[in-house]
Amino acid sequence: MRILVAIWLLASAAAFGQPKVLRRKVLTADGITLALTRLQPEASRGRPVLIVPELGFGGELYENSLAAFLASKGRDVFVLEPRGHGRSSKPRAWRLSQLIEVDLPAAVSAIEKSNEQAIDLVVHGYGGTLVLAACSKELSGKIGRVVALSTPVEAELPNEATRQLLSSGGGLTRLGANTWEMLFARGAKIERSRLERIRTEDLSDLGEAAAGDLLAWMRSGDLALADGSSLKSRLAAYERPTLLVLPLQDNFAHPEFASPLREISKAPVTVRVLSRAELHAEDYSHLSVLLGSEAATDVFAPALSFLDEGTARQ
Amino acid sequence: MRARRARLFWLSSALGLVALGWALAACPGRYEEPLTKEAIAHRVKTSDGWELALVQYKAHGPAKGRPVLLCHGISANARNMDLDEEHSLARWLARQGREAWTISLRGTGDSDRADPRQGRWPGYGFDALWSKDLQAGIRYVREHNAGAAIDYIGHSMGGMLVYAYLAQGGDGLNAVVTLGSPTRLDWNSAMAPFLERVVKLMLSDETAVPVVWSSWLTLPLQAELRNSPIELLLYNPEHVSKQSWKRIAAFATADIQGGVARQILGYVRSGRFESADGRSDFRAGLAKVRTPVLVVAGKSDRLAIVPAVRDGYRALGGPKEWLLMGVENGAGADYGHMDLVIADRASTELWPKVLDFLDRHRGP
Repeated sequence: MRILVAIWLLASAAAFGQPKVLRRKVLTADGITLALTRLQPEASRGRPVLIVPELGFGGELYENSLAAFLASKGRDVFVLEPRGHGRSSKPRAWRLSQLIEVDLPAAVSAIEKSNEQAIDLVVHGYGGTLVLAACSKELSGKIGRVVALSTPVEAELPNEATRQLLSSGGGLTRLGANTWEMLFARGAKIERSRLERIRTEDLSDLGEAAAGDLLAWMRSGDLALADGSSLKSRLAAYERPTLLVLPLQDNFAHPEFASPLREISKAPVTVRVLSRAELHAEDYSHLSVLLGSEAATDVFAPALSFLDEGTARQ
Repeated sequence: MRARRARLFWLSSALGLVALGWALAACPGRYEEPLTKEAIAHRVKTSDGWELALVQYKAHGPAKGRPVLLCHGISANARNMDLDEEHSLARWLARQGREAWTISLRGTGDSDRADPRQGRWPGYGFDALWSKDLQAGIRYVREHNAGAAIDYIGHSMGGMLVYAYLAQGGDGLNAVVTLGSPTRLDWNSAMAPFLERVVKLMLSDETAVPVVWSSWLTLPLQAELRNSPIELLLYNPEHVSKQSWKRIAAFATADIQGGVARQILGYVRSGRFESADGRSDFRAGLAKVRTPVLVVAGKSDRLAIVPAVRDGYRALGGPKEWLLMGVENGAGADYGHMDLVIADRASTELWPKVLDFLDRHRGP
């Protein structure tokens, strides 16, 4: 199976050519500059895909893994770095609700200028949940299919390490190596140097305001938004066809926080549990869904297949 | 001709020796661990005429709380909760001052097997286990304690049974702990269609999956093969010893009755948790339950995965607590499915938390 996927990847690279990497800036309604990276294949097919990272993680994690894979299969891929992340502006304080209400609409508008089709989404972690919330209002009518990697819809504090992290301003860059590995890469089959590069070069501290929002969300199970709605009410109205990927060994965004999407939303949800009992390479952690040595087989290929299924039905 | 006969002799001798070695290694008696003198055997009759085996361990010293009834899961018997001196939740509870009882459900352990001549028909399913066996076990232990409500701990299907019992208004329980007990089973598993086909082709309600013989025949290999399907599904070798696992395989398994397997496979197919006739929705019924419940899940449980166990916690409408056993929460290793009852560290890491919950919910 793995050999077949490798052959498929090589054949795809030959068919669609090496994607061009284009970096651009998007100005939001409140004057923040966002980084939007495009991986554009020579000959694209299907709907464009917007990848939205986990809170605190920059685009590097996605560009050299899932985004590269999707682009190699002919998808026009965009990676957004929201405010406070990666190459985007880093205001002194930012709130989670601004990602939903300001950053995501700005990024989708920018993509719409070059594409008239609906956009597929691949979203990750708590950052991903914010995108699901935006789908029922700010992005309504603009989204095709969604792949959600570990997106908690009934968030709770997963463990003491997360409480400490968020109580101290979400200082991801200051996390000790053991805590970092326990939260994000426990039992993961990830090349050490790659994991270390993400830890030292691709992280951003959340800051007091955003970390406080995330902690309050985990403690209360909900997050109030500026328009008077809340994360919960937004998720209840969510209805996009979704592939929900549940890595069993995720110690940051537990799979049991994500799985109730089937019960609480209107969306048709397909579940994919990542587990060695399912003959996957590992039980998968928060980061190995992207960086795992067999992620192309166990995660990326099924994600693409799910997105393509929607394109075929158009 | 003589040379050929000699070759045949040596070849058959070698094969005989291999077979003998296998038979000796596979002999379950090698791993037998008889119950201690403290174990008091009881038998109770269900309302439909099956005799079930219960074992009682009296509290050491003055009783410090209500008696606790312990119920095993699928393809198991009461010895899952009472494996040996170091790996027995029942004996551990007795040492803490709680009278503890184990029960073997019908067709398992020392309980009655199906026998149509005696009116014990083999075509029973999950519903008979909660509505007849659990009911009989709870009634019997209560009778031994002046009718007072008792506490209950169920592992895997033993927890699913108590969920069904409570959801249908079952009484007599003061506080409940479920260990690795799922209530939602439709997780799009690649194995599900295969299992469904096998069960459809080979299993009727009257036949059984021969787990006991399979365990005995594979005993020399049990716990020896790294990453075997059994290890991946059922336990984490980081804190379940080879000896413990071989003991489970030798004397703590039971055949799975076709009707039980088919009802549970129905849950895998439909995502529902309900009676066989579809009239009673157990998950919906959990919203009405007011008995305090501690729901325990193992981080590395690949059989009753954490989201599947969490589904029951979400459905419960009364007082409830959630406990995830994993390294992230201070455990020495991530707990697998069987680890919750036989891990080397369970008696120091998990069971005290279970007892603490029961102690905090002693009731009037």
